[in-house]
Amino acid sequence: MTETSHLVRRLPNDIGGLESPPIQRTEHELEPWEKRCHALADVLDFHKIINTEEKRRGVEALGAEVIGKLTYYERWIVAFANILFQKGLLTPEQVALKMDEVEARWSAGQVS
Amino acid sequence: MTGHSDHDHRHDDHAEIVESAKPGYYEMMEIAIRELLIERKMFGANEIRQQIEVLDSRTPALGAKIVARAWINPIFKARLLANGRAACEEFGISFYDDTQLIVLENTDKVHNLIVCTLCSCYPRPVLGLPPDWYKQKPYRARAVIEPRAVLAEFGTHISDDVDVRVSDSTAMVRYLVLPMRPRGTEEYSEDELAALVTRDTMIGVVPVTVNARS
Repeated sequence: MTETSHLVRRLPNDIGGLESPPIQRTEHELEPWEKRCHALADVLDFHKIINTEEKRRGVEALGAEVIGKLTYYERWIVAFANILFQKGLLTPEQVALKMDEVEARWSAGQVS
Repeated sequence: MTGHSDHDHRHDDHAEIVESAKPGYYEMMEIAIRELLIERKMFGANEIRQQIEVLDSRTPALGAKIVARAWINPIFKARLLANGRAACEEFGISFYDDTQLIVLENTDKVHNLIVCTLCSCYPRPVLGLPPDWYKQKPYRARAVIEPRAVLAEFGTHISDDVDVRVSDSTAMVRYLVLPMRPRGTEEYSEDELAALVTRDTMIGVVPVTVNARS
């Protein structure tokens, strides 16, 4: 086995059977945006825009470092952005401009 | 949530959520994507709101009702084990997605445990959203390789003459554990039985006990 083979033998989501520390029985109430993100995932699935398996692969495609550092719904929304770009439904520029608009709205005290 | 706060954009999870707080980077991304897709008429704003209501309506209390019915009604139990989704739908619980549900019966000989090693698939229509630990690496990694050690961390000790079976969920196939009815509940009503059944008993990490709730 070469030094890098572990990187390709298992993709980042494929962790079943690996050694891991004790379970921390953490729970948290979803923040409002996390719940909206979950509802967005379901609606994207209902409309056959992004299904559950595409979402899972989209998260996996973020790579181990991003998966390790982002929280659960942060990974989802970034994966959705990438999948929507790949499908040609949105462009990075559109999302960037809209995020600027959202920030400007908040700054103007009008964020919904 | 654990293991974060190395990004200055991230709010402290333990702080009170303040309405006027500036949205974080990822929240702004969520708002932006949602608004862009609604502007393009890919779905309506109402659909997000309605789905949030659906998510809020799904709790382990639904799964507990199914378990209690299965305990008192052998015909329902047989249907539930034959086709989990169809039996739940007959019972009045709609499935808002296109997943199948397999119900796994715990017995004197078999103890079932559910996991999703690849991500976080879970029987959401009947249990709601999964706990964080179900979505995190230690449970996902270890449940399939050392389930008895995992169960022991939840205080559950399964005797050696009982098989432990672990079922790994997928995007299309979800599992629900039908736990064993505890002794001493022969006189309980269906509602009283349902009140004993917690989320974790239907994941399979703990048994149903009569003292769990009082």
